[in-house]
Amino acid sequence: MLKKVIILLLLSAISLYAIEEHKIKPLMDAKVKKVLLVLKNKSLSQKQKEKKSIGVMDGIFDYHTMAKISMGKRWKTLTANEKKQFTKAFEKKLKYSYIDKLRLYKNQKVIIKDVKKVKPTRITFETQVIGLDGTYKVIYLFYKNKHNNQWFIYDVNLVGVSIVQTYRKQFASFLKTKSFKQLLKSL
Amino acid sequence: MKYVFFSLILTLLLFQGCTAKNELPLQANLHEKTLNTDQTAIHTNTIKNCTTCKDNTNEFEDEFGDETENIIDPLSGYNRVMTSFNDKAIVYVLNPVSEAYATILPQPLRIGISNFLHNIQFPIRLTNNILQGKFQNSSDELERFIVNSTVGLGGLMDPAETYMNIPAHDEDFGQTLGHYGIGSGFHIVLPFFGPSNVRDLVGLSVDGYASPTVYIENIEKYKIPNNIDQSIGILSAEFVNKNSLHLGEYESLKKDAIDLYPFLRDTYEQKRVTQIAE
Repeated sequence: MLKKVIILLLLSAISLYAIEEHKIKPLMDAKVKKVLLVLKNKSLSQKQKEKKSIGVMDGIFDYHTMAKISMGKRWKTLTANEKKQFTKAFEKKLKYSYIDKLRLYKNQKVIIKDVKKVKPTRITFETQVIGLDGTYKVIYLFYKNKHNNQWFIYDVNLVGVSIVQTYRKQFASFLKTKSFKQLLKSL
Repeated sequence: MKYVFFSLILTLLLFQGCTAKNELPLQANLHEKTLNTDQTAIHTNTIKNCTTCKDNTNEFEDEFGDETENIIDPLSGYNRVMTSFNDKAIVYVLNPVSEAYATILPQPLRIGISNFLHNIQFPIRLTNNILQGKFQNSSDELERFIVNSTVGLGGLMDPAETYMNIPAHDEDFGQTLGHYGIGSGFHIVLPFFGPSNVRDLVGLSVDGYASPTVYIENIEKYKIPNNIDQSIGILSAEFVNKNSLHLGEYESLKKDAIDLYPFLRDTYEQKRVTQIAE
């Protein structure tokens, strides 16, 4: 009897956990398709397209964590207010960069590859953009937030280059010679 | 005792029912309502309010490594100058030329030229795939070359990829050296070619022997160009043709840089590490 109880307990725990994880693939699938539909919609102006595609992708990006990683060790030395300001500025920068890349979109095909669980707390979602003369890998990296057990994007890898890592290196070398305020301004 | 167990199971089952009930609409929602921004907004708010959370931080610090680590860059002075030279060459020469070229030649033709040039560089890819022991990739490359050179009208088209799903496996000698654990050495920015490093420069020179479009004395009978000038001509045409298919991308990339030289250096080195690992 006790065995049954334990098994039941285990089963219910597993099913709860799995749902959140299995959400990633259909969710990202739908989101990518939605963005492509928006971009292909000729009745929308460029501005509307940008706003809509940002809206689609927004909720799954954890800008706070991205800002924190990009700041590296300096993050701990910042005041709460500075952290807030920086996160806001960084989010804006990322969105601006994303919008700018969207402008380059010219009906390229996007193939959705598989979702891979690389670690218990890390999942990668791979897509391929078919360009005019080659294919480009775009990988979205998810981590599991320990507080609410939800998965969020903390980095995007474009053709082998991590966006957050690139900012992290840039910020570190910038801060070697310049102040945090100057960094905020340059963002 | 039995009664206690019974009630336990009953409550468990009830809870199971509850979660299942909650999950079902969630799943159903996925297909239609996943894009509901209100829902996602709540999602982010929970994250934003969590400024005091300390979890995950150390994990990320390990994952991304030491960002303050000094990179050995003895040529940084020269590299900076060369980066701004290349930048001006792209913005004031390569881009205007490519734009004019793109208005003259229709895009399908430019893609054809790109396919053709990619196809005849097949010896580089084949050799390096073999050298790295990637035999499946090598046979893919061989198959691609045969199919594309014949059915693909001398390489102008890529039926191997489009119809037969055989992908190209770009490998160069720099990657082969990296595959066997040879480090990148310091960074060198080459005129026109852009970012490189000691290892990849060696790789580039070695690949020149395998490339049919690079003129090398004494083995010219295996090569298409008969002299250096022709070799440079082919290379420039390749640059312009390639760039005409990627107009605007360099400018967009540049906007992400706070300081152009270290930005291009880091992205290049990161990209090479990924390519070598593949």
